[in-house]
Amino acid sequence: MDFLWHSVSEKEKEEIKKQAKGIMDSFSRKLEKVEHLAKEEPLIEREKGEREESIKEKTEIDRKIMFENAPEKNEDFIIAEKKEW
Amino acid sequence: MVTTQQKLKGYLERIKRKNKKLNIFLELKNEKELLEEAKIIDEKIKNNKAGKLAGKIIAVKANICVKNLNASCASKTLENFKAPYDATVIRKIKKEDGLIIGITNMDEFACGSSGETSAFGACQNPAVLGKIPGGSSSGSAAAVAAGFCDMALGSDTGGSIRNPASHCGVVGIKPTYSSVSRYGLIDLSMSLDQIGPISKDIDSAKLLLEIIKGKDETDSISQEKKRIPKNKIITIGIPDLSNIKIDPKISKLIDDKVQELVNKYKWKLKKIKLNHIDLAVETYYPLVYVEFFSATRRFDGRRYGKKIEQVAGPEVIRRILGGSEITKAEYKGRYYYRALKIKRIIEGEFEKAFKNVDAIIMPTVPRLPHKIGEKISVEKMYGYDALTIPANLAGNCCVSIPAGKINGIPVGIQIMCDKFQDNLMLDIAKKIENV
Repeated sequence: MDFLWHSVSEKEKEEIKKQAKGIMDSFSRKLEKVEHLAKEEPLIEREKGEREESIKEKTEIDRKIMFENAPEKNEDFIIAEKKEW
Repeated sequence: MVTTQQKLKGYLERIKRKNKKLNIFLELKNEKELLEEAKIIDEKIKNNKAGKLAGKIIAVKANICVKNLNASCASKTLENFKAPYDATVIRKIKKEDGLIIGITNMDEFACGSSGETSAFGACQNPAVLGKIPGGSSSGSAAAVAAGFCDMALGSDTGGSIRNPASHCGVVGIKPTYSSVSRYGLIDLSMSLDQIGPISKDIDSAKLLLEIIKGKDETDSISQEKKRIPKNKIITIGIPDLSNIKIDPKISKLIDDKVQELVNKYKWKLKKIKLNHIDLAVETYYPLVYVEFFSATRRFDGRRYGKKIEQVAGPEVIRRILGGSEITKAEYKGRYYYRALKIKRIIEGEFEKAFKNVDAIIMPTVPRLPHKIGEKISVEKMYGYDALTIPANLAGNCCVSIPAGKINGIPVGIQIMCDKFQDNLMLDIAKKIENV
């Protein structure tokens, strides 16, 4: 196969899905052989107060940014197509 | 002395003549605005008030947000997406009077190692027309190689800066993971992504890295550390790569180069074994498939234009569908978690190695670039990054610089150092550049 871009049909998507799973399976089988060498490591909890997330002004800017590229929107919400959610 | 305006006009003229054939830039900034900005920068230079990047013309990969420019990720998904804000790296560049000229081509959503998967056509390699430029930062490396700009920004998840830098014959840096803010980078795989500079020489790349690095509150993993190299005499580690298929011509070129360096600088050479480095590709892709699948859930056609599954090309679809499949509850622990464990093992191997050596040197890419459009297997394509992925898995810094040519095709040499030893790495790279 070549790697040049082309649009993908539903049929090709099915083939790609199978191929992707096949690749992942073969990769996983190789990793399985050395998995036992890994040490179990404890979870690291994030320190409190590490990052300031409560600035009100910033939230307003983020909202404006968030909606700027939405194809269909109202003042402060995006409009989705019906029956697709 | 050449002014910013004169230099800019030269680049624009060259781009107008050659970009159609090379397909490097996806979007150029408005010419009138660019010339206005260049004029202001020249005024600042004249009055000694200019920033450190004054006079530098910089291109940006299409997955980094530059306000009002199209951050399309070379995909029809974001074809009309105008970045509503500047990424932190862009903000820093503008603050230092760097002039952003435009947005460069890339593999679609950074999914590729060849530059071929762009929805807007493959980018050419200016150093060897007809061959791939490498990817995914294909346009950024090609822009520097073609003489379209002074410097460029790329992103490197598994080699996406170093791989095209090697094929195009330029310098590309993957900084230490977390040392450069990713705020405003459209992610491929958030546990591995890193923005970095591409340029013709080490000094320019170093300058750009100095500006963009540093802690940033808007990137939760961002951090700043300074490490002082402990040894005066440099010890270079040469890893055993016998389990990885490398073109013998490339191996010879790199071996000869290393010998030349050792003779010139009296560096100590040490052969090292990095266990399981041959599993880098197998470790990397499950991580990328899963994290990319997760990252693309926001491209649902409601917030940013089009739904990704409906308009993306085959490689993007492969990673999304593959990621969706292996994250199913029934496969728990079999793919992603397993890959995370091996990632940690490989990281540990590098930690051990860097107790005994200051830097590790190896080829950047194991094979020469293929012809654009040539048929190759997925596994072979993924294998292009076999030597660049380890630095991403370990989080280390790494740079690719030109080492020479084989049949007229540029070949890169890779210098890797421990985390936050970017300055030491660039000092060594500078010495190699001088040979």
